[in-house]
Amino acid sequence: MMDVLSSLDITFFLLTALGALVGIIFGAIPGMTATMAVAVCLPLTYALGLEHGLALLLGLYVGGISGGMVPAVLLNIPGTPSSITTTFDGYPMAQRGEGERALRICIVASLVGGLISAVVLFWFAPMLAEFSIKFSYVEKFLIILLALSVIASMSSNMLVGLFSGAIGIWLSLIGTYSLSDGGNGKTRLMFDVMEPYLFEGFSLLPVLIGIFGISTVLIEAERGISGGLKGTNVEVSKEKRFSLSVFKGGITNLVRSSFIGTFVGMLPGVGGSAASVLAYTQEKNLSRDSSQMGKGAPQGLIASESSNNALTGGALIPLLSLGIPGDSTTAVLIGAFTLQGIQVGPLFIPENQDTWYVMMAALVFANFVMFFLMFYAIKHIAKVVLVPKYILFPIIVMMCVIGAYAINYGIMFDVWTLLIFGIIGYIIQKIGLEVAPLIIGFILGGSAEVYFVKSLESFGTYSIFFTKSPIAVVLWGLIAASIALSAFIGFKSRKRGMRNVS
Amino acid sequence: MESGTTSPLSVSIDFQTSHLFFPHIINWTIGLLFVLVLVFRVVPFLKKVKRGESALPFIGESMDGFRFVGTLVLLVAYFYLMSVVGDYFPYTGYGFLFTSIGFLFLMSLLYMHTRTKRKIIVAGINALLAPALAWVVFAKLFYITLP
Repeated sequence: MMDVLSSLDITFFLLTALGALVGIIFGAIPGMTATMAVAVCLPLTYALGLEHGLALLLGLYVGGISGGMVPAVLLNIPGTPSSITTTFDGYPMAQRGEGERALRICIVASLVGGLISAVVLFWFAPMLAEFSIKFSYVEKFLIILLALSVIASMSSNMLVGLFSGAIGIWLSLIGTYSLSDGGNGKTRLMFDVMEPYLFEGFSLLPVLIGIFGISTVLIEAERGISGGLKGTNVEVSKEKRFSLSVFKGGITNLVRSSFIGTFVGMLPGVGGSAASVLAYTQEKNLSRDSSQMGKGAPQGLIASESSNNALTGGALIPLLSLGIPGDSTTAVLIGAFTLQGIQVGPLFIPENQDTWYVMMAALVFANFVMFFLMFYAIKHIAKVVLVPKYILFPIIVMMCVIGAYAINYGIMFDVWTLLIFGIIGYIIQKIGLEVAPLIIGFILGGSAEVYFVKSLESFGTYSIFFTKSPIAVVLWGLIAASIALSAFIGFKSRKRGMRNVS
Repeated sequence: MESGTTSPLSVSIDFQTSHLFFPHIINWTIGLLFVLVLVFRVVPFLKKVKRGESALPFIGESMDGFRFVGTLVLLVAYFYLMSVVGDYFPYTGYGFLFTSIGFLFLMSLLYMHTRTKRKIIVAGINALLAPALAWVVFAKLFYITLP
């Protein structure tokens, strides 16, 4: 491991830092997320080697998740969905003139959350990979089914989540049933005229860039592109100085929230807002004195920011050990990894020890870079919130085009895919379908088909999915549990809704 | 495709039509889920709309039609012209460079709420610099194919 780390060059660290900086900027601008940062900056990695590409991507990921705290504290607008709970206590503190103190509490909490989740990732991912290496196609199919049912049950409505997931799978099946996967090479779900364009289906990355980049622009355009925050005060006030003593008595909170974040991150498709809301409510329920929470209590910031940064390590666990993305950002990462020739799955860590260590180094380093950049340069970074959207959005579209066009070495249809999925993503969000299950369905649909059909071809009976191994039975139990839990929560909230009406 | 020879759960897949097996199942799943969504979500939602508690998406909402349609038109024109111009100068990336300059400027103008001279100049400089920088970095430095 040491020789791997000593082989890292200065470019590696510079790229991680660049990634973190760009990520923070994306995260800090409301309406732009870490997912978008990774999607938009993808073309930069095309020309980089594996190690450098990873450095940039992980820097973007960590920076993007962290940046959301800036407008959350200063303007009461969550920069990313996961910093929603940061506004509860951050904004009241900023109004009291403790903006800098609030931000620095957030930054330290973010660092701890990120590092704890990195440690969990480092220990747990290889274990999970080793365990899942013995999985046959039957168990692999069930894992995908479990992932989809968890995503669906975490959606605001399970039925809608399942429906969105199924549409995602359907979209992934367009094109040929690939010969290299043991299929017969025939095309389906399309007309013959589309064959020259869609023989291999829609490419993953243009689809993702379209859904996360173009549809965001369309939605903002429909709302008339807010005139920006010009004139808003983003001065970082510092009437009360930050000191580490604020964490005294908050260590339990810090560690608990970090673990909650890591765990929620592991669940596929569950966004960051779930992690921070869960950690925040836990702190509210469990702390000795929660009376100040919501009025500007540091403990709320600690819970929120440590949990949302802990997502990063957590979401990478299922990605690297099972090949299943833990959130929408890792969904884009899966595409970027494929591009670098990395096939994520149970074999990834054992067969690519060096790459694995490089990734860990990049992740840990990105957390420290994020910390130093934000801790000492926060005053300057806070100003990017003011960059007007009429400058920003055209640049984003341009970067999306480069990313889509260059991905398969210059195919114009990939650029049109951007537009198609930009519009699909827009419609999906308008009619209330869920993006995360759809994306995960799209990514996993192809493998789900291969695992499912090959299992049936070799065993010749549907019952094999229940009788193959004890693991299969356990997986069915988990699937049932996730559906039952979601039905239970839905029932409870409906009952509460009824009570509120009466 | 399916034959119940030994037990109701047994199945044999014909290789010639195996590409349709899984899509077939997904089609039925989507159909079933669609009916469920219709019954449990869409119908209650429409009732709410009737009572005036919610608004229909697209039709019932206020939207900035000018900017939305403008964005779509600009995107289509941008993507289309990019390949047309690109064909005149193959393997140079000029198609990308020239159309991007126009696109960035027009989109900036579209999104501006008040068009002052200063803002337009800033947008113009941005429209020239950003594509030029991207072109130099990607096409010249990294040798990435651009239209």
